[in-house]
Amino acid sequence: MITIEHLKKTFKKNKVEAVKDVSLEVNDGEIFALLGPNGAGKTTTMRMLSTLLIPTSGKITYDGKDINEDLLAVRRRIAFLTNEIRLDGQFTPDELANYYGRLYEMEESQIKKNKEELFEYFGISEFSQRRYETFSTGMKQKTSLAICLLHDPDTIIFDEPTNGLDILTQQLIEKYILRLKQEGKCIILSTHILDLVSRLADRVGVIVDGRSVYCGNVSDLASSQNVSTIDEAFVKLYEENHVEQAIITKK
Amino acid sequence: MHGLRLIFQHEIAKIFKDKSMIFGFFVLPILSLMITVGISVIRPTTTQAEEYTLYFYGINMDRLNIGELDEKQIYVVSVTEEPAVFMQSESFHKYDVLVDFSDLHNVNIYYHEEDTISSYLKSTADSFVREIYSELFRGRHPDISFRKVVAEDLNKKEDDNRLIAMLLPYMLILPLTANISNFASDSIAGEKQRGTFYQALLSPVSPLSLIMGKIWSVSLISLFSSGIYIGLDVLGSKLCEANGWEDVFGFAGIKVSTAEFLLILLYALLLCYLFSNLGILISLFCKNANQAQIAQLPVTLACTMAAMLAMFRFGTSPILHYLIPVYNICIVFQDVLHSRVKLANMMMVAISLFVMAFVLLAITLLSYRSEKVTE
Repeated sequence: MITIEHLKKTFKKNKVEAVKDVSLEVNDGEIFALLGPNGAGKTTTMRMLSTLLIPTSGKITYDGKDINEDLLAVRRRIAFLTNEIRLDGQFTPDELANYYGRLYEMEESQIKKNKEELFEYFGISEFSQRRYETFSTGMKQKTSLAICLLHDPDTIIFDEPTNGLDILTQQLIEKYILRLKQEGKCIILSTHILDLVSRLADRVGVIVDGRSVYCGNVSDLASSQNVSTIDEAFVKLYEENHVEQAIITKK
Repeated sequence: MHGLRLIFQHEIAKIFKDKSMIFGFFVLPILSLMITVGISVIRPTTTQAEEYTLYFYGINMDRLNIGELDEKQIYVVSVTEEPAVFMQSESFHKYDVLVDFSDLHNVNIYYHEEDTISSYLKSTADSFVREIYSELFRGRHPDISFRKVVAEDLNKKEDDNRLIAMLLPYMLILPLTANISNFASDSIAGEKQRGTFYQALLSPVSPLSLIMGKIWSVSLISLFSSGIYIGLDVLGSKLCEANGWEDVFGFAGIKVSTAEFLLILLYALLLCYLFSNLGILISLFCKNANQAQIAQLPVTLACTMAAMLAMFRFGTSPILHYLIPVYNICIVFQDVLHSRVKLANMMMVAISLFVMAFVLLAITLLSYRSEKVTE
């Protein structure tokens, strides 16, 4: 279970307050979708959750333990997948899986087992001896996903997991996300595709201008805003909170 | 250690899996060797001596021509410096001969036994001394005795290693800085550009292991690559020597003991480590390999300048020079090749290098968690 309390991030370089106040909770065995317009602070929040960035203030806990207590132990338990993540092109998926498996101090037999299972699922097995750089975008994304999940993490953070992928690969990844949920994993995904949220997510958090403005069940999102669809609810939340910010700035 | 070893192996494998590396590592040095040998073949062979000299100490006489050898004139010249001092000077070349006439009954002739010209000139000096001895004293002192003294090996060795001592800092530092700049830029800034650095940042490996794994892989691969260049230069020298071409590589006649070679290797490794750490530190703050290479240019230029300054250094250096980074390693190389290593100087360099290495590593580790690195 992940708990985020009053998370704040100000970049020192340009003094930009990317995240002002985000609080949310994600339980094991659920898919939590993080929604927000461009520049709302979703990616920064995801980066702080994945240990890539240090929060300016606030607290992140994994199963009640502060993230800063043992950073390396947290990293062993999480996986973070974004479109920006690539693997070394000179290596084959097989070599990459062996390398990352060993880096996560996995047993050789466990690496072999997980590798075979993931490669089989994502259709990489027959290409496992080919260099990663020769793959198509979809195949690269599938390989990255397989490598990220190799160490069997408890928490998986996806930043736009299906962006730029064909419909077949999208479906394959969606199915796998549901499978991970059934295995009791804690899944956070950030996306712009509201359809994907309604199909996959159990709960949703909406961030506007660096603040969490909603956190609750996906099914309750529309009714909580007195609208009929989650698209309308999202727009309403954005307009209300963004306008509010503009008024605060004016004042 | 587990993480460090894995990252080190992965980095090395990554470099060797890159096809362009085969060109950089093997084809380019061989091409460079072929071009240099070509220059050596087409250049006319010249010897360094324009004339041969028999130096006389303890007797005053005008410069005198006493014959010729291989179309070069042999001169007799008086010197006033003590033989021990004169033999250490630049004027006393390996084929020259020094006759110590200070004791009229025991004349010492200093020469280099291994040099055929010097041995020949020694016989000429011997005859000449007998001739002037009888002329000067007209039979009044017939009990002259000759002591043929072989000039010290130290002097001979210094002479053999003179060229390489001058060239080595430059020959080593130029490929080293170029290689390290290339590998270090690619190691982190290049990875950021390709998007592969995040995976390393997210892995449960301590920053120390990650940074050290990268530094050591860059260090050793750069040293190996520079070693190939120098190894081929040694081969080139042997080729020139065997075929009677002029040696443009500077390795002909080099005399380096195993201990001296290991000492040079150790300091070269320390130098590599420092360069690599600096390269990695710069690379951490750059967004792509190109930017990192440009940022490293001043370092490369400063190191090349230091090596060039060391090339034109003669004699011994003040102890404070052993504190100047890079320059101090260059002069250590020269001291080793000239067999004038002093423990105090070596310690001074070693301590300054370790302090620099520690400070650089600390800065690198502090920078590792900077937003500039992870953004």
